[in-house]
Amino acid sequence: MTLDSHVFMTTMEKRVNFSSEDKAILKSHAEWGKAIAPKMAEHFYDYLGRDAEMNGIMNAKEGRMHRLQKTFIQWFDEMFTGMDDWGSAYADRRWRIGLVHVQIGIGPQHVVPAMATVVNEVGQQLKADGKPEELRDALGRICMIDLAFIEQAYVEVSSAAVLKETGWTEGLFRRLIATGAGSL
Amino acid sequence: MAINSHKIGNILQNFVSQTADVQGAAMVTPDGLPLASSLPGGMDDERVSAMSAAMLSLGERIGQELVRGDIDRIYVEGDEGVSILTSCGEDAVFLVLAGKAAKQGVLMLEIKRAIAELKPALS
Repeated sequence: MTLDSHVFMTTMEKRVNFSSEDKAILKSHAEWGKAIAPKMAEHFYDYLGRDAEMNGIMNAKEGRMHRLQKTFIQWFDEMFTGMDDWGSAYADRRWRIGLVHVQIGIGPQHVVPAMATVVNEVGQQLKADGKPEELRDALGRICMIDLAFIEQAYVEVSSAAVLKETGWTEGLFRRLIATGAGSL
Repeated sequence: MAINSHKIGNILQNFVSQTADVQGAAMVTPDGLPLASSLPGGMDDERVSAMSAAMLSLGERIGQELVRGDIDRIYVEGDEGVSILTSCGEDAVFLVLAGKAAKQGVLMLEIKRAIAELKPALS
């Protein structure tokens, strides 16, 4: 059950209507994105840090918080540049970020509201700097795609671990989920 | 040769009706899909199939992990009776439900015979 990140990216682009116009407006504001990225990282981790469990996870290892902040800034910047025009390299990196979230235990229940905080903060910054509404929409869409990668990573990694440990086929696993869910 | 599900169904029905204290039987795929079944009323063959395949597969993994070699069967004993899961080649799992009065030796022999009959209908 290994996700093909490129296929997932393409599917998500279609699903959220992430268009070439969105890409163009993001690219044209790449410098602005780079400039506000450290401030957004602060908002993101301030928000997460207010949760005792998350605070514990983020500070469990020396230097982890610093690395996470650095990764966030890079991630934020890449949303604007698209790396390889939001192609395979972009998809692989989003998948990798998702895996890191799973490995260190930052789940969707934490990331989703934290991401909403960032979207809100970006919106305010956008307004303050007199940026167009289209940029907000494009950012909203690419944010949703990136968030989907993180959520999907949780599902994929959990499923892969169960399949590995039990020897169940993917079909059987899906069937058990369907029959189990039906009986809840 | 195509799988003869009608024949599999007949073998299962005969097995259940002619073997003492056997209450039900099913043949399922390793993906947990029912091939044929003759189960007591009220049992959902879709759920039974998924559980049977899951159980046998997990048993095989346990056998591997605990260095018990290839697993012949899984025997689940409760105070109302037993469930026996036997691998029937790579493509199927044979489930037998029996009451607590069932004689284990007889049951195992009958299962062995039933599998010998079932295997040709699968290939």
